[in-house]
Amino acid sequence: MEANGMIALASAIAIGLAAFGGTQAQGKAAAAALEGIARNPEAQGKIFTPMILGMALIESLVILGFVIAFMIQGKF
Amino acid sequence: MRILLSLATVLFSANALASGGFTWLHGVHEKFGLGVETGTNFEHFTTFLLTSAIFIVGGLIFKFKTANVEKSIVPDKGVSFRNIVEFIGEFIYNLAKSTMGAKDARTYYPLLIFYFGFIFLNNLIGLIPGFLPPTENFNTGLALGVWIFIYYNAMGVKVQGLVGHIKHFMGPMIYMAPLIFVLEIISHAMRPLTLGLRIRGNMLGDHTVLAIFSDLVPYVVPLPFYMLGIFVCFMQAFVFTLLTMIYISMAVETHDHEEHAH
Repeated sequence: MEANGMIALASAIAIGLAAFGGTQAQGKAAAAALEGIARNPEAQGKIFTPMILGMALIESLVILGFVIAFMIQGKF
Repeated sequence: MRILLSLATVLFSANALASGGFTWLHGVHEKFGLGVETGTNFEHFTTFLLTSAIFIVGGLIFKFKTANVEKSIVPDKGVSFRNIVEFIGEFIYNLAKSTMGAKDARTYYPLLIFYFGFIFLNNLIGLIPGFLPPTENFNTGLALGVWIFIYYNAMGVKVQGLVGHIKHFMGPMIYMAPLIFVLEIISHAMRPLTLGLRIRGNMLGDHTVLAIFSDLVPYVVPLPFYMLGIFVCFMQAFVFTLLTMIYISMAVETHDHEEHAH
């Protein structure tokens, strides 16, 4: 395979894997938070902030993957 | 009025993509010639100056409106400029109170509300067709993040003293200190980077999605993505402010080590 094709593949795989892992983790966080809210609706305000925080921290790694994908793409 | 506004949005978005990435600044440059290179950095920087000016003027207007104490006791009716500002301010204050405690929230409130308002405005201006959001540029995000980094370290030193602040990096047990110190330094050094990258990546992604969909179908179809865009703008400003609160409150907390030492 020529080099350009490999570069395109690499960038797609980088963001794809990062998004896959990140969404799995965020889905788990959201599911747990929703379950907590469903069991005790009054705790919504208290659950919401840590959930957003956890999601932001998970997401930061996905965004690092996104940046890497961009950097790989810049090598065309 | 509302229909007119949405119609204008649709029309302008079509107009924007017909000319292949139209921006107002570039339009002015083509017509009159600004005499400078108009790359994306220049666009972002000029938009940043514009939002700063809007922010300052808005703040002054609010200040003058509430200058008369007797008159400003009674809140306005309906949706007015003052009510919007007070709503945002109260929202951030309540958030700060629940994450940092009432005393710290009062101390650090000016910084927090500045960050939230400023980032939110900077994100929102990207939704107007023909403007690029300054937060899309990594330099903007990094500048905001680095200032947070300096600020919370300075506050930690101010509240706990230099030794107390460095003790934070050491972990609970003294023989683990060398290992934990390295890890903590790395994680602290990553903080401004991740703050900047998060806001940059999200704004760029959102803007790109909007651009692609308005390129596919210029009319009506991009409207849901405008809604999504407003949500993303709010969420990113919110997350940035929330993380700032957490970082500051982690740096300035003075808890007794005897209480939960195990």
